[in-house]
Amino acid sequence: MESIRWDLPLTQLKARDLTLEAAKDVGPRKSTRPLPAAQIKKMLDSRNERDVLDGLRRVVAMQYANPPQPTLTFFPAVLKTLSNPYPSTRPLVYNYLIHHAEADPDTALLSINTIQKSLSDSNPRVRAMALKTMSGIRVPVISQIVSLAIKKGVSDLSPLVRKAAALACVKCVRLDPTTRPQVEDYIEALLADKQYYVAGAAVQAFMEVCPDRLDMIHPVYRRLCKMVVDMDEWGQLALMKLLTVYSRKCFPRRTKRVKRAATQEQRAKDFYEDLEPGQETKADYEEVEFIDPDLDLFLKSVQPLLSSRNSAVIVAVTRAYLYLSPTNYLHHAIGPLIALLRAPHDIKQVALCNIVQVCLIQPAHFTSYFRHFLIHSTEGPNVWRLKLEILTLIFPYSGKEVQDLILAELEHFSKGHDAQLVRESVRAIGRCAQSSSSTTSRRCLSLLLKQIHSADSNLVGEAMEVIRHLIQRSPDEHRKTVIRLAKNLDSLTSATARASIVWLVGEFAGYDTDNNIAADVLRILVKGYADESDEVRAQIVLLGAKVYLHHLNAKNAKRKALDALNSGQSPQQNSSTVLSPSGEEEEGGFGEDAFAQSGPQPEEEQEKQHIIDLLYQHVMLLARYTPSYDLRDRARLFRSLLAIESSTELASLLLLAPKPVPQAPSPSEARKDLTLGSASLVIGEGPLRGYEAIPDWVEEGREPDPKLRDDGGREEYVAGGNKSVNAAAGARLDEALASDPGYRPEASGAPRKEKTLDAWLDEEEESEETESEDEEEETDDEEEESEYETDSEEDERAGLVK
Amino acid sequence: MSAIEALYIFDEHNSLLFNHVYTGRPPPPSTLLPLYLQQASPRRSVTYITSTSPPTTIFSVIQDNLLFLSPTPHDTEPLLVLEFLHRFADALEEFLGSPLLATKITANYDIVAQVAAEMADSGVVCQGEANALRDVVETGPGVLNNLLGKVGLPGGSPGIQPVGGSGLARPLAQSQTSQGSAIPWRRSNVRHTSNELYVDIVETLSVTLAPSGRPLSAFAHGSIAFTSKVSGVPDLLLSLSTGGKGAGMGTRGDQLRTVMERAVFHPCVRLNTWKKEGVLSFVPPDGRFALCGYETDLLGPDIALTINKPSSSNLSLPVNIEITTGLGSSGTEFEVRAKQDSSSRSAAAASLQSNLGSGRGGFRGGAPTGDSKSPALDDLTIHIPIPPNVRNVSEMRPTKGEAHWNPAEGTVEWKIPPKDFGPGGAVLRCTVQGILSDEDADMGVTNGMTATTYDYDDDAPGTYQSEKTASSTVATNGTSSRKADKNKDLMPTSATLSFGMKGWLASGLKVESLLVDTKKSRGLGAEIRPYKGVKYLTVSRQGVEIRC
Repeated sequence: MESIRWDLPLTQLKARDLTLEAAKDVGPRKSTRPLPAAQIKKMLDSRNERDVLDGLRRVVAMQYANPPQPTLTFFPAVLKTLSNPYPSTRPLVYNYLIHHAEADPDTALLSINTIQKSLSDSNPRVRAMALKTMSGIRVPVISQIVSLAIKKGVSDLSPLVRKAAALACVKCVRLDPTTRPQVEDYIEALLADKQYYVAGAAVQAFMEVCPDRLDMIHPVYRRLCKMVVDMDEWGQLALMKLLTVYSRKCFPRRTKRVKRAATQEQRAKDFYEDLEPGQETKADYEEVEFIDPDLDLFLKSVQPLLSSRNSAVIVAVTRAYLYLSPTNYLHHAIGPLIALLRAPHDIKQVALCNIVQVCLIQPAHFTSYFRHFLIHSTEGPNVWRLKLEILTLIFPYSGKEVQDLILAELEHFSKGHDAQLVRESVRAIGRCAQSSSSTTSRRCLSLLLKQIHSADSNLVGEAMEVIRHLIQRSPDEHRKTVIRLAKNLDSLTSATARASIVWLVGEFAGYDTDNNIAADVLRILVKGYADESDEVRAQIVLLGAKVYLHHLNAKNAKRKALDALNSGQSPQQNSSTVLSPSGEEEEGGFGEDAFAQSGPQPEEEQEKQHIIDLLYQHVMLLARYTPSYDLRDRARLFRSLLAIESSTELASLLLLAPKPVPQAPSPSEARKDLTLGSASLVIGEGPLRGYEAIPDWVEEGREPDPKLRDDGGREEYVAGGNKSVNAAAGARLDEALASDPGYRPEASGAPRKEKTLDAWLDEEEESEETESEDEEEETDDEEEESEYETDSEEDERAGLVK
Repeated sequence: MSAIEALYIFDEHNSLLFNHVYTGRPPPPSTLLPLYLQQASPRRSVTYITSTSPPTTIFSVIQDNLLFLSPTPHDTEPLLVLEFLHRFADALEEFLGSPLLATKITANYDIVAQVAAEMADSGVVCQGEANALRDVVETGPGVLNNLLGKVGLPGGSPGIQPVGGSGLARPLAQSQTSQGSAIPWRRSNVRHTSNELYVDIVETLSVTLAPSGRPLSAFAHGSIAFTSKVSGVPDLLLSLSTGGKGAGMGTRGDQLRTVMERAVFHPCVRLNTWKKEGVLSFVPPDGRFALCGYETDLLGPDIALTINKPSSSNLSLPVNIEITTGLGSSGTEFEVRAKQDSSSRSAAAASLQSNLGSGRGGFRGGAPTGDSKSPALDDLTIHIPIPPNVRNVSEMRPTKGEAHWNPAEGTVEWKIPPKDFGPGGAVLRCTVQGILSDEDADMGVTNGMTATTYDYDDDAPGTYQSEKTASSTVATNGTSSRKADKNKDLMPTSATLSFGMKGWLASGLKVESLLVDTKKSRGLGAEIRPYKGVKYLTVSRQGVEIRC
């Protein structure tokens, strides 16, 4: 523990600080008021560095001011300052030049000579800046000069210049597309650079210029994988995007069905630590993904990036895992994804979209994080919509307590004041119900049924809609629910809800014919027909038509049966007996209600028919005098449909057609195929311009030769002129040993293993994983490597250094 | 295509401040801004606009009241662009000082333009480290130097070789200023006459409490802000400890990781050392930066959900609030209670004695309150969102502090000055009024399900039963209760609590030591011992929410 320095004269320091600050304010940038153009010109022509700088500042300020002031007139004067020896003015001049070159190309060309001279300055920063500026001048005439400058920059000793050269490649192709073949050569050379930030920039340039030239990647693949940790975030992003595509196109997906062995189960446990137990024990046989060792190298080397502070990097790693090896690696990325929820609001929205996307594919991974998806009252609709969706997605995979909690959460929000939120949470309950087991589903349903007593008509309507969907999904289980709902008709005020219930009753009119409530419901409703809204009236008329149709159908069937009986065909008797006996058993279910006179119905059939006939006629009369022409029209349709009692086929076809089961997919289901991390996914209006889908796995046997990846590494070590600054000493030693013909391990396991461990120890950045994990993987690789036994020695080496 | 096409900055009055086109022909800011502003108020950070040609995606970030926009016609990675915009804003802050003001930008267009050009080379993002930019961006003689904290003028005194620590494994043989710093995030040749190191740990609470008071979720989102003003290339070692949490769970690193979950780090942190030893070893950038972000589950890793008692035993907030609705004869009143949690505070305080700050000097500013021995509560505010169908909050009676209703935002804001807020707590009682016509006209047709009995018993869980009894009592109480039922619509469903507390961390984390590794450090005299300071702060910005 070190003591804290107290002897420092803090007060003195402050006084000095202040003086300096004051001096600064009086200093060069005190006056910001605009000066006349002539005076600025004079300043630019001055021999005093400070004056020139001040003049340039004013010009730049004018250029960016709002509204922008014309600054083109200063072009010659500004360019003249390039001849000054002061380095401090350079950046501003270059900035001006790039901005104005397009407007006045002829004047801009005057500067080329001076800039070319700077390309061979002794200071690498000056060289890099010159290269950057030259390639930024948007005058197509100079494209060949730029190309030459890049060529020179590619072989520069300073990595700064090489990085500038890599970025200049992009600009050169934009300037003149015909330079592409040359530029591709430059990029190929730069990709093999040993300096990680040069390679990173080269990958960025590659992605911009020629993302399809994957053949350039083969020789550098392994090195790039190892360098990814050191690159800056933007290089990492480009590289991960590139290698994700590369892996899909170069490593065929190999799977094998293996019988579960004890050891494997042990390994699976390590993999699935945070998975539900149900997931792993699917069958005795399991699909085992064979991961190519090279692909594994990539997946392993990006794993440390999951601690990156850059959200885009984390999503990029997740994308690589999701599309390349969801079973073995994806679970590593879940925690970091969740961590993105701490990010600023704007990033959080986008991150949630991506989380939903992963959740659609692997919901089980997210169950332990359900607490993160609880909604706060301060969150906007963009956020809670996605959170609700995630909650419903993980719902079927959660334990009982979590399910309870999620349902309680949804219930709470369904009682809120925000109409949108209410609607979404009720729908979410519906989605929970349809995706889970029957007991939970019933719990959801009873939750929804409670909602229909709410005073909020918005909520009731929405809940009824969802209930209707649920009932339609499994009509047989829900007969009693319909009866219960029908009872609510006495009290319910929401028109949509009433209409929904009446429709449901009509749908169920065909079940359990002798003991159906439809006719009674109709009877009660007809009494209040005058007070109903048009929406409900339409449903009442429809219900009337359906009840009558069922009645006619039953009558026709009976008559047929009787006819058949009379003509002596006994087997038909079954159908008639089916109709009568079930009458007594369910009677109690709705007996206490106002339907007392339903009792005598089964006995006197003649009487009952008469009642339904009368009811139907009454409904038709009511409809006839309804103000709504639509309704009157519909009534006329029904009347003519049902005019002839004996032929009901057409009416049955129209009215009793089986309804398709409504599906309520998760709202994001439509975007499931969009690439993780793309803007199209976030916007959700289909693929945007320039959207790139992840390619399919290459077919087995059509992939490029894996040997292609072997050669490059060594070659570049020899070719690289300057000292390799970032290669670990141990790796280089290995390199030397491997290339020595006397040292060639005879493909035996033990020495190889030792050597790899050494390599790992030496390579700091690589050995992120714990030792034990590596050991374990190593045994894997051993099996794999037997395939490559016959390959060249480099192949072995590359496998080892991994 | 992942290029940034253009960058526009607008001030809070939506007038254009800065306009930099990198590449292509993006729609001008004057056409983009109205299209962006068309969206409804909680605007999305990624907007798709079809009325331009070609259709454009706009990425937007708001920082310090400034609006940063970047249009692109292609499908790019949204997070890349958003991160870039954030980094750009951070870089401007680094050069122009925080907070970022419109006047600062207009006065320093030359710097802003250089930063913009350096960070993305014709649209390809190539530099995100604000600190490293200082090597490249020409700020002019004498300008900004004291902003950057280098009071001693930048002299190219040779002999200092900024060499990365051995953990970085990239020793640079020759590193001059012109070559750029060996460490991508640190500018070269750092000089300070006063050598200072500050660790600020800030935790932001995000807690949701069920109506019973039982916590549903409780997270503290922590970030460690580090300020380094040390000459040369220091190699630092920061040890944190959990303050007793997770004791007996493996190594120190393991314990720490149970508190600091899902951590993200600045690229300078050596992940290996963190994984193995649970300490943060790093070569810091110069100046202030975010070293680390983490989150703590305050409920503990495996809390049983079945615990039903309304315990805040594992969760100790300095202030507890309760909200009761539907009070008064017609149920138009609600009450919010805030109470100080004295027991947890002292315990927390005791566990948080900083070794580092052994003395008043440990805390920057040396404020009399707010060190770890006597945590100070301030900015205590309670927000109660009021439903939109409330016409007026006719009465607000706080026992302490001030409350006012903001109809535009639909919230009641109740501020309690910390010195009034004694151990007895404070109570706010409000009366709300609904829409007039509702009151009498609708009374007849209230949708009371009063007469119904339920015989739907496919399954009858407890909740369902209670509903039954509740509704039957409603039936007996007649009209007054029906009124209350009606007024239920007017009751708030939640309340949020905001506060700031200096000297206390919800996670119990504390800084154990901060060492300068003199062997690995370069350019720092052996006898120089930097001044060190630690500050803890826990804030809740409407982060504690209680439901009712």
